[in-house]
Amino acid sequence: MSEPVSDLDPNVAEADRLIAAALADHVRMPAPRRLREQLARRHLATQKPWRSWFAAFALGAGMAAAIVLFVVRQPAADAVIVDEAVGDHLRIVSAPHPLDVETNDLHNVKPWFTGRLDFVPPVSFVGDDEFRLRGGELAVFLGHKAAAFVYQRRLHTISLFVFADQAVKARDEITSRGFHVIVWAAGGLGMALVSDVNWDDLRLLEARLRS
Amino acid sequence: MLLSRKPRPLAVVADRADDRPDPAGSLAEQALAHADELYGLARHLCSTSSDAEDIVQETYARALGGIARLTPGSNLRAWLFRILRNCFIDQARRKKIVLEISDDTVGERPANEGWDAAALDQLRYLAAADLERAVGTLPHELRFIVLLDAQGFSEAEIAEIARCAAGTVKSRLSRARARLRAALQGSGRGAGKRERGNV
Repeated sequence: MSEPVSDLDPNVAEADRLIAAALADHVRMPAPRRLREQLARRHLATQKPWRSWFAAFALGAGMAAAIVLFVVRQPAADAVIVDEAVGDHLRIVSAPHPLDVETNDLHNVKPWFTGRLDFVPPVSFVGDDEFRLRGGELAVFLGHKAAAFVYQRRLHTISLFVFADQAVKARDEITSRGFHVIVWAAGGLGMALVSDVNWDDLRLLEARLRS
Repeated sequence: MLLSRKPRPLAVVADRADDRPDPAGSLAEQALAHADELYGLARHLCSTSSDAEDIVQETYARALGGIARLTPGSNLRAWLFRILRNCFIDQARRKKIVLEISDDTVGERPANEGWDAAALDQLRYLAAADLERAVGTLPHELRFIVLLDAQGFSEAEIAEIARCAAGTVKSRLSRARARLRAALQGSGRGAGKRERGNV
């Protein structure tokens, strides 16, 4: 990236530099897995006959494994929960208004939910330099009031929904509409972490929330 | 202007690829390594993810269909982005979308824009949605150039991809940055700095 240079005003140059850094982060967007698979099938699998056979074998093995997984393993995260989490996350990131409680102090966010929820969210991660707590919001999750904690990772917003639902039994990772979602249960409550950050970052935050 | 070439059906291109010798195979692997970058750019140019996927598909179909034309030592990455640009313009034509023509004769904004320390601090807390909106206000050609710059291309490479003079790239980049500054001034949320009530 060419370094933005302005010989007019150092503050303008600094603004350019900040915008360029934000853009460099923003422009990176992983291609959907479906697209990558289509491209690989179309342009790699046809290069050599043995690759075609290998691809067919891999596809067959993959399908068989998927069938076995589908039959044997009960999905831990219901698709409805994932859809709800992604939908609520989108509402938070696109809302024209600030969060209900906008502060980086968890000790202000948690008490704010008192009287607004009929449970106490088991969240103790106060945020750090890598995952800054932005605040909290009262969400409606599957028709019931839920807590939303909002963290920031560079330009990415990460929402943590804490909701009263017994359906979540085990941890699961799902990608829906391009958003990564991690769902787990804690203290009899459901937890859903949603963002467009990469899996590594999302798992890192999950680990800090669960520690 | 470029891109008068009619896009060939993907299936035809893919069939031809079958007969290619092995070197094309390794080039295809190298080319596919840029899928994320191409999609990232396409997604910011197109209004829907489906359109973005279409032009990336078409880019690879054209690129790998004509990979024999790529001379050894050429910049594969830049070549792919040039094809992506062509595909984007062809798609716009098919959809009868009028692409704004940027006026290279118009100068950039004056320097006095009021970027004080507070305004700069807001930029540090810039929300992705605000940045997205600001980029969306740019004419396509300026958007394309500023996004190529964000992808790490040099001005000379951008000139090669956009098929214009290096001086034109420089002036367009300058105007794109001025527009982004104008669109983003006061956009930062200042999250973490501002507290709404000690509740």
